Amino acid sequence: MAESIPVQLKKGVLELCVLALLSKGDGYAYDIASQLAEGIDMAEGTIYPLMRRLQDEGLVATYLAESPSGPPRKYYRLTETGRASLQSQKAEWSAFARAVNAILGEG
Amino acid sequence: MTKDQFLSALRTHLTGVPTAAADDIVADYASHFDEGLAAGRREEDIAAALGDPARLARELRAQAGLKRWEEERSPSAAAGAILAILSIGAIDLLILLPMLMVAVSLIFALACVAAAFAIAGVFMLLFSPIAILHGHLAQGVLAGLGFLSGGTAMGCLSALASIGLVNFLIRYGRFHLRLIKPITA
Repeated sequence: MAESIPVQLKKGVLELCVLALLSKGDGYAYDIASQLAEGIDMAEGTIYPLMRRLQDEGLVATYLAESPSGPPRKYYRLTETGRASLQSQKAEWSAFARAVNAILGEG
Repeated sequence: MTKDQFLSALRTHLTGVPTAAADDIVADYASHFDEGLAAGRREEDIAAALGDPARLARELRAQAGLKRWEEERSPSAAAGAILAILSIGAIDLLILLPMLMVAVSLIFALACVAAAFAIAGVFMLLFSPIAILHGHLAQGVLAGLGFLSGGTAMGCLSALASIGLVNFLIRYGRFHLRLIKPITA
């Protein structure tokens, strides 16, 4: 059980990380998954359920674009709702991280 | 695990998800393999990094179930959503089951009382002509109507309570869906 806390923390911030990556530019799932797998140690497959949920909730939209190699890729872009959600989640995360750091700093 | 093995395992575990959505999901994972192969990775390595297809399918199924409930609001959609949420272990049955039993029996009891009142009301209305003999027609009709409307009101109340209960379960499941343990490669 000791291990499950960091794992749950990761899953909780996964959505925030994906929204943040997409705010820098549109992306396709394979690329997003490999960037996240590098930074946060997680299974690459979890990106697809997440992307579907974000799409269902209207935070991202998809379009097809040519890829230099092979068939066209499905690209994801942030919608206005997604941008607003990113701003509020970012603010929440910063406040939370500041509070935790302040407590850790005292120890 | 090869690409084909991964995709067919995923497809098998996606039963219950509408075909169009399942096709879409499998196509997403297939193109993930193609991207990986183009980047020079081995099929086995890509499959290992993706995680367990059965586990991924369970999560996708739970999500599809929640979506269907939001679109349809039918009893079968509710049952599907709750089953799918249970399958990912998002709801701790040991904690929830006793609470659920109490809530369900309360709603059931209310529905029974509602039905009894309604039936009593109908009988009173039916037999009110007999009351004419005793000169109490108005009393009989009014009492019948009163019981009938009381029964209907309680029936509506129990229906509302059932919908509320399903919504609560689904909100609980959705919250946990975001926080459950992801698959580690």
